[in-house]
Amino acid sequence: MSKKNRLKNRYNKWGYIFAIPFVVLFLVFHMWPLLSTIAYAFCDMRRFECVPRFLPSIGEPWYRNFQQVFESKSYNDAFRNTWIFFIAQVIPEWCIAFWLAAMVTDRRMKMKGRLVFKTAFFLPKLFQGSALGGVLLGHIIATATTVVMYVTMAAALDGFGVDLQDIKFFMSVGFLTVVASVFIHFGITFIYAVAGITSIPVELFEAAEMDGANRVQTFFRVTLPCMKPMMFFIAVVTLVEGLGMSDVPAAFGAFDSLRRNLTMMMYIQNQAFMGTYIFDRASAASLILLLMCGFFAVIIYLLFMKDWDEAKLKRLQKKELKAMENA
Amino acid sequence: MSDNQLDLKELRRRELILKITTYAVSIIITALFLTPFVLMFTTSLEPGQKSEFEKLMANPVKRILKHWKTIVLFFQSDVRINLYNSLIVSFFSTVGCMYVSALTAYSLTAYEWKFRKFLNNFIIGVMMIPTTISAIGYYQMVYDWKMQNHLSMVIFPAIVAPVTVFFMRMYLQSTFSMEILESARLDGAGEFRIFNNFILPLMKPAIATQAIFCFAKVWYDAYIPAIILVDSEKRTLPFAFNIYVATPDIITYLPPLLVFAFFSKHIVEGVSLGSVKY
Repeated sequence: MSKKNRLKNRYNKWGYIFAIPFVVLFLVFHMWPLLSTIAYAFCDMRRFECVPRFLPSIGEPWYRNFQQVFESKSYNDAFRNTWIFFIAQVIPEWCIAFWLAAMVTDRRMKMKGRLVFKTAFFLPKLFQGSALGGVLLGHIIATATTVVMYVTMAAALDGFGVDLQDIKFFMSVGFLTVVASVFIHFGITFIYAVAGITSIPVELFEAAEMDGANRVQTFFRVTLPCMKPMMFFIAVVTLVEGLGMSDVPAAFGAFDSLRRNLTMMMYIQNQAFMGTYIFDRASAASLILLLMCGFFAVIIYLLFMKDWDEAKLKRLQKKELKAMENA
Repeated sequence: MSDNQLDLKELRRRELILKITTYAVSIIITALFLTPFVLMFTTSLEPGQKSEFEKLMANPVKRILKHWKTIVLFFQSDVRINLYNSLIVSFFSTVGCMYVSALTAYSLTAYEWKFRKFLNNFIIGVMMIPTTISAIGYYQMVYDWKMQNHLSMVIFPAIVAPVTVFFMRMYLQSTFSMEILESARLDGAGEFRIFNNFILPLMKPAIATQAIFCFAKVWYDAYIPAIILVDSEKRTLPFAFNIYVATPDIITYLPPLLVFAFFSKHIVEGVSLGSVKY
């Protein structure tokens, strides 16, 4: 028995060894910068290549950076814009992606040309344009604009009583940003959704079909619950990319004086690297963004991954154990 | 009995409508997605204002022949260094990321060690942090080390990707069984040899999938190279636009497309084979 343990331990030490590269690289290149950023949020760092001075040591309150961030108008604009873009992008994108994923993998309706569609949907993600001079992004936006323009012009010409004023909303930067974002992130959501659905054993679907469930019922009661870990993954990726969105709005013109397309990530970039080295305010804004991401990520985790029934069972077991000990 | 009797014609009609709707939506979306690419390949070599319709209808071959000079000029200019920089950075990042992530995923599933569960939850937790938040601290760190303008400083943060590790672990859990491991050990193989010769081929679909994502992400990354690489000689390709405006965009978009074409036959089966057991 001890020899078997010794053998197991001899192999298990390789678990440590194999995990070391990742852990070391992560600590050095991600953890340390993250902790530094959090520390800088409480320091005074205004110039290039300066030593950060802890705020209370120079006589200012520790929340000075946060105060300045919340008071600045551009940050409020950025905050509002980010949330509007994010929610407006996620809802249509998820609806269409999940609907198409359910339709493409449906067993009763055998769809042809699945491979072509999957590849075509994935392409925009692959070519996510660069922030500076993203020609492809320009083309996507041009296509979207043209389509929207033709559709709304047709509606106007047909005499639906649509005025030029009404169409103006569809030409605004915000709407086009949302459309371009939906384009880009739709492909990856679709691919992961298809992956999640195809990993569910076929017997469940057959049983549901035999019990007479129609498509909607099957989707909400069989597919979605079985896909919970994948949904968690998709939700986290969407959250992180949505709140950190900086390249799509930047392609519309990074220095819009009316701040119509400013997002939080762009605000941080402008503060820290585009000419003015106001690191402390940028760090404070980064910390706020991090806390928001963390908060919603915890909510997503509680929604999707945590096994509520198992937690209840554990609690009941503990209670019973305690009652038995006291008796 | 007449209540339960399904009207077959009604059912068939409903199925047909659903099928037509799905095909219509798919085709519309595909057309919307593919049009920018077609436009890109026909207009990237000629700057000029033309309407979208004319761009679609123009003859791509004639234009490419006519503007071959631009591509040739590009390769003779100084800007080609930026292309090489991009290639180096993307290649090493992808290779490093795949190997380290596969190694970590393997250590999380095949061995039982004390901090395994902690590392698991830690990776899930870290997955939720956008990497650009640590950019400010990273910038300070690189300048403290006096390693700015060094390409390796762009490669190393890209190697560490918790999302990739999570995905590979999910995939490995469904396709891995201890029997392979034990039989290999019985035959006297060392642990590294087992990993390189048994586990890596097993994970080929997942690696191919993540390689495409990783390559595209690093190729188009505009945040980290902008703040680390200052010298124009060391910069990566997306910034070449600033210096040499007539760079053919096709050069920027071609390598990820080639990587995608190379790995694409693995991607669809790979992603769908991954089980979603936690």
